[in-house]
Amino acid sequence: MAFVQCSGLQKTYNVGGEEVKALDNVSLSVEKGDFIAICGPSGSGKSTLANVIGGLDQPDAGSVMVDGVDLATAKDKQLSEYRNSHIGFVFQSFNLQAHESALENVISPLVIGGVGNKKERRERGQKALERVGLGDRAKHKPTQLSGGQRQRVAIARALVNDPQLIIADEPTGNLDSNRGADVMNELERLNKEGITLIIITHDQSVANRAKRVLEIKDGRISERAGTR
Amino acid sequence: MKLTDQFRTGWRNLSRQKLRTSLTIFAIVIGAVSVTVMLSLVTSAKSFLVTSAEKTGMDKRVIVTGNTGLDYRESTWNWPDGSGKKIDEAALEAVSKVGNVKSATLYTQVNNMSAIVLGGTELPFKNMYFEAYTPNGTIKHIMVAGEELSEKTNGSGILVTSGIAKDLGFKGNEAALVGKKVTLKYRKDMGPPEAAKPDEAATIVGVVMGENGEGLSVDLAWAVKMDRIEWTENSGPNGQKSTRVESQIQKNGYSSVWIDVTDKKSIDGVLNDVKSLGYGAAAGKEEVDNQAKVFTILGLVLGGIGGIALLVAAIGVINTMVMATLERTREIGIMRAIGATKKTVRRLFTVEAGVLGFLGGVVGVGLAFAAAFGGNQLINKSLEESGIADRNLISIAPHIALAVIAITTVIGMIAGRLPARRAANMDPVEALRYE
Repeated sequence: MAFVQCSGLQKTYNVGGEEVKALDNVSLSVEKGDFIAICGPSGSGKSTLANVIGGLDQPDAGSVMVDGVDLATAKDKQLSEYRNSHIGFVFQSFNLQAHESALENVISPLVIGGVGNKKERRERGQKALERVGLGDRAKHKPTQLSGGQRQRVAIARALVNDPQLIIADEPTGNLDSNRGADVMNELERLNKEGITLIIITHDQSVANRAKRVLEIKDGRISERAGTR
Repeated sequence: MKLTDQFRTGWRNLSRQKLRTSLTIFAIVIGAVSVTVMLSLVTSAKSFLVTSAEKTGMDKRVIVTGNTGLDYRESTWNWPDGSGKKIDEAALEAVSKVGNVKSATLYTQVNNMSAIVLGGTELPFKNMYFEAYTPNGTIKHIMVAGEELSEKTNGSGILVTSGIAKDLGFKGNEAALVGKKVTLKYRKDMGPPEAAKPDEAATIVGVVMGENGEGLSVDLAWAVKMDRIEWTENSGPNGQKSTRVESQIQKNGYSSVWIDVTDKKSIDGVLNDVKSLGYGAAAGKEEVDNQAKVFTILGLVLGGIGGIALLVAAIGVINTMVMATLERTREIGIMRAIGATKKTVRRLFTVEAGVLGFLGGVVGVGLAFAAAFGGNQLINKSLEESGIADRNLISIAPHIALAVIAITTVIGMIAGRLPARRAANMDPVEALRYE
């Protein structure tokens, strides 16, 4: 079985009394170590797909299995545990806690998961920051960091629990092209180290780095020819 | 998430909004101080009442009167008018035979003295009734100086109250009164002028706690003599003379028999036995219990007022926590995204609210201790002025302090429950989008 296996995903939102199909019979499979980009215009349902694979949202119908975890039927505790230690999430707007230092942000999944003691957490957090080249920024608050650095802190946070899968939703969306390229280099490097990578983007230059590109439109998914 | 981490996170979040946190805690502090102080005032007053009763033996006392149906208070100042059973030596003997009676004495009140003279000072009594009993240990006082009447105090020994000591100019120096010779003057209106008796010489052997109006304590045998007046008058047309004797005690008997019961459990039995002899009987315990009941009710009322303050503070906690959940919507989304369960989020906010309550309780109880200390300084001063040996009457019992802290903590947690549930039930996807 594939590492990520979605089949027949349905998700409908009710927006202003009108039903919007965010996911319409979406099926896909992602192998371990793969790097796929999911492209599509805004409102196409790509973030919904990311949220479903990331365990933040559950489909109305269909099944989604990641690393043997059945996310479609999992309860809050199981989903949370999955988000905490199986995957790393990277968001467009970084989603760092503004009042915490870079290191504190990075170790927050360990704190929430109740992993290790203070010392172990700091060591692991520091290692993750060093992995993204920010070992010397541990005590900086997000406001004291550039956009690219913030996103790398977010990547370090995603890495701290040694996940098999990183889901990045428009990771370069808030960055200029140079910094965006830095972040993409970082993510690509992690993929080369064996981490499965799913990137949601509408940026073609980002999508072009992926091994596979999936396009989503009006909730329906299709594979871009020649990328497989 | 580990509990220690939850506390650390909760504390951190609270310290991010120092002013708001302080104001919320302040409201809880007010409630905690009022509950603690009010409950402590009442329990202190109650324990003062109980220990005073123990010191004077009131808790184990039964008063036997000739009239039936009197309560304890009425029994203490019962003045026999001949309407009831006569209290005399025979009555004492009968009552003493009742089981579980440790000791008993005849008791009467003397009302024929008008003033006490010490050196050049003549102090009229504000209340001319004072107590007389056989000093066999049945009747005890809270002593300010000197000792109780006893066999060795020789009949003419007296106890004066601290109120009298004060009026004699011995306030705060009551011990100096002990051993002083005084003169007791008779009232002039007790009989015809011919019946006037020479002043009585007495020695102060002790000073007891009490007002001036509560007068003196004297030996019963001596009081019997004081009570008796005698004069000769013309009783016939031929100048015959006869001796007239008037004695309240002889005529109507003593006021009562005071009993010291062996232990509190025997009081009811003694009461029944004495009543079955045809006397009236009342226990000091009833009076102590009645007064204690008043304090308990007072405590509930005052504690209730403090409780209302706490309730208002709880609304403050709800308000603060609702604000916090709104402000931290995005943070909650992030926490959920990196693996926080609903339960973890709920717990975090509950712990935070609990910490608010706990801190309010601790500070409140601390302030209550300070208030009790200050209050005691003031009260001690007036106790000292009244010649009362007791000090630090207001004491905050540790169990009250701990209970108040526990209650404020629980109130905080309960108040935080609703906002915590709101926070926990937020859709993480929506929360992450929140600006």
